Amino acid sequence: MTSPVLTLKDLSIEFPTPGGVVEAVKALDLTIEAGRRVGFIGESGSGKTTTALAVMQMLAEPGRVAGGSIDLGGTDILALNDEQMRRTRLSRVAYIPQGAMNSLNPVMRIEPQLWDAIIAHEGRLDRAELKRRSDAALESVGLPVHTAQLYPHELSGGMKQRVCIALGIILTPELIIADEPTSALDVVTQRQVMQTLKDIQEQIGSGLILIGHDMGLMAQSVDELAVLKDGELVEHGTVKQILEAPKHPYTQDLISSVPLVGGESFLNPDRRAEAPKRESSEPLLRFEGVSKTYGAVTALHPISFALQGDTPQIISIVGQSGSGKSTMGSIMLGFTPPTTGRVLFEGQDLAKIGASQNLEFRRNVQAVFQDPYSCFNPFYRVNHALSYPYKRFGLSQGKAQTQAAMEEACAAVGLDPDLVLPRYPHQLSGGQRQRLIVARALMLSPKLLIADEPVSMVDASLRATILSNIYDLKDKHGISVLYITHDLATAYHVSDYVMVLYKGHVVEAGPPKAVIGDPQHPYTQLLIASIPWPDLQRGWGSGLEDGAEDNIASAAPAFRGDVAGFELAKA
Amino acid sequence: MSRIPRSYLLNRLVTLVLTILIAATLIWIIPRLSPVDPAEIALGRMAAGAGSVANADEILAQLRAQMGIDQPLIIQYFKYLGGVLVFDFGLSTASFPTPVSALIAQALPWTLGLMVLSLVITFVIGNLLGALMVWERSPRLVKVAIPAAMVFTSIPPILSGLLLMWIFAAKLQWFPLTGSYGLTVEPGWSWDFAQSVIHHGFLPALSIIVVTFGFWALGMRGLMITVQGEDYTTLAKAKGLRPRYILYRYMIRNAILPQITAFALKIGLLIAGQVLVERIFAYNGMGKLLYDAILDQDFPVIQGVSYVIILMTALSVFLVDLVYPFIDPRVRHEAA
Repeated sequence: MTSPVLTLKDLSIEFPTPGGVVEAVKALDLTIEAGRRVGFIGESGSGKTTTALAVMQMLAEPGRVAGGSIDLGGTDILALNDEQMRRTRLSRVAYIPQGAMNSLNPVMRIEPQLWDAIIAHEGRLDRAELKRRSDAALESVGLPVHTAQLYPHELSGGMKQRVCIALGIILTPELIIADEPTSALDVVTQRQVMQTLKDIQEQIGSGLILIGHDMGLMAQSVDELAVLKDGELVEHGTVKQILEAPKHPYTQDLISSVPLVGGESFLNPDRRAEAPKRESSEPLLRFEGVSKTYGAVTALHPISFALQGDTPQIISIVGQSGSGKSTMGSIMLGFTPPTTGRVLFEGQDLAKIGASQNLEFRRNVQAVFQDPYSCFNPFYRVNHALSYPYKRFGLSQGKAQTQAAMEEACAAVGLDPDLVLPRYPHQLSGGQRQRLIVARALMLSPKLLIADEPVSMVDASLRATILSNIYDLKDKHGISVLYITHDLATAYHVSDYVMVLYKGHVVEAGPPKAVIGDPQHPYTQLLIASIPWPDLQRGWGSGLEDGAEDNIASAAPAFRGDVAGFELAKA
Repeated sequence: MSRIPRSYLLNRLVTLVLTILIAATLIWIIPRLSPVDPAEIALGRMAAGAGSVANADEILAQLRAQMGIDQPLIIQYFKYLGGVLVFDFGLSTASFPTPVSALIAQALPWTLGLMVLSLVITFVIGNLLGALMVWERSPRLVKVAIPAAMVFTSIPPILSGLLLMWIFAAKLQWFPLTGSYGLTVEPGWSWDFAQSVIHHGFLPALSIIVVTFGFWALGMRGLMITVQGEDYTTLAKAKGLRPRYILYRYMIRNAILPQITAFALKIGLLIAGQVLVERIFAYNGMGKLLYDAILDQDFPVIQGVSYVIILMTALSVFLVDLVYPFIDPRVRHEAA
């Protein structure tokens, strides 16, 4: 066995606050051998990022190491002074922070951001030498050399994350800490970036700590797993041990919370609600040759479909970022006017809707967005956020009735109204906030809900709960839902019909059991192959095969079966 | 300039011309809403000087013709617009018949010298101090001293001016009490004159700096706190960069961007804002010119000074718009 690159002994981290000392990490013991990949898994607040920051000596104020030791390849990290620690960062331990979207200085080109890292540790080197090393680093993560001359905003999310990885390995550290490096990326890009990270880590033979909350991603990426809950290490072992025989109930929860294609559903459809009585015989939502172009870029090619809405249905729109799925959602909500074609809601053209009809339309069509953190006005308590639209749409019949409606809606999404209503949004977790957004939509009894990536920013263990809330909207309240997502596994379970979007075209459509269970189009196949499974028997592939792109572009769209109540014009 | 898209340039240029046109129109309309007749004021001043005036009606008509206010409004307006383009604002009514442009040409260099210099100094000091308030490596003393110094920000400039005058001019006699330059030196490009100008300008400049640096420091502090929480600052630290380098190249470099826009807007406000400072130091700048013109109801001068203020603001905003794509590459992207 090689010598350990990192030894944590009895590590405790605390945050003294006016309300008392919060113990973020409690008596953590862990050893990481050179060349090993160790996953830190747990929910937000479990102490995984805090532990990583302690190793970097970058704990946010007022956090401090209360006890124990951190040994990095024979160096006692806690005994280093500021300057020694600065020299240790990146050269011996690299940290790739969460949120690659904003991790690069927006006013500097990529090249100087690679150079300044080298210069900070090795002094001013010869220009040609700097250039050679930065180009080598970029090439090693699969980026073209000209990327060096670009600004961060000119790169895609996947490219930015690769630049961060290039930075992480440019001084060949003993240990790399990657904090949810792919949480902002779609499945296809996630697989490619993870593969790059694994390859390069193997090449330089460093240790790797991968922080995350997705058991599937962990299973496909690391050798060992450390399961953290409330600052305590509840389980540690090889991936194989933990996946095959999880000992702690929390670990079991984490494994079972990953929605799988096929297998058992996490939903329990108990009763089917009738759709609300509709006066109009027109379909609920109709797209007539709708397309959208931004300058020379076509976000959405002409598409026509009709959602009848007589029986409530969930229609999923899946694809990776840039596929045009969010543009479609925005067109449905009337926020983005289509370049060609018409969008009709109950026979009414959205482009010609009047002010009073607009109010009616807004009530009938509600939305749940990706980011539950920015959806609330931080100045108001939850009960204001919930009651305001209710009153504004003229549904309120007095205070008591509004209160009752709020309590009912909270209960419907599994929240305790007494606990959440009097609070401010910042006092609630992301999962709670997202459920409140669903509750808020429910109070208005809309006919249609547009849910754009409603669970991509909440912890994996909460995704199932929120999706069953959304499923209940259809099942118990008779509301039709358009579910926009990149996550095929959840689409498989909740939807009645699935459309797969690729560069603004529908490439495959039909019932989920056919489209996702047995994909025909190479793009759908790629999406499904990119899903990391919490199953070691099932490989993940590299995602870097050549020619896959051409194959996808040339394949004909596959239309699978029809579902009553939803008609897609097959182009 | 090839890096700036033409559409962006055209857009800003149209904005510039429209701003100036609308502002010039407003400046023309507002005094005409007043019931005061400038010809009567001029006549009143003559009467006050000479005791009495014979043929008052005739003189009044003559004055009106000279001032051009006997013509229909629409003609007055277009004549005015035509004049404004070549900086012809007519004749001052208070110092009749001196052209307004001559008065402004006399006052403007003083104001540009004193005010722009003090604004630049304030901008640099204020932003630096604001950044140091946030930087984690700042000595503790700095973090205590700067907020304490901000007490001065709540003092009106006229009071700080009087206070400085009393201490440094009246008591210590380090600096002259009033004036723009010494009575004994001949204005011109001589070292003596320059020395005298700096000597006289020091206190008015200091009184402006002392009361306005807090504006920049507080603004910068807020921006720095945001930047401090950005992921790129975290990554900069994780890269093991030197703290001072992170402060300049990562934190201040990003936080300063909105401050530069604010700087352009301040240029125009500065003349109006420093009227009283120029007044108490008897400093012969635009502020004093405006102050006196308001007291004398000298409309052509008020119009001329207001126009110059707007022109300066519009031009500096235009300049910042031109420079901005170079200091923030994301702007170029949006414009394209």
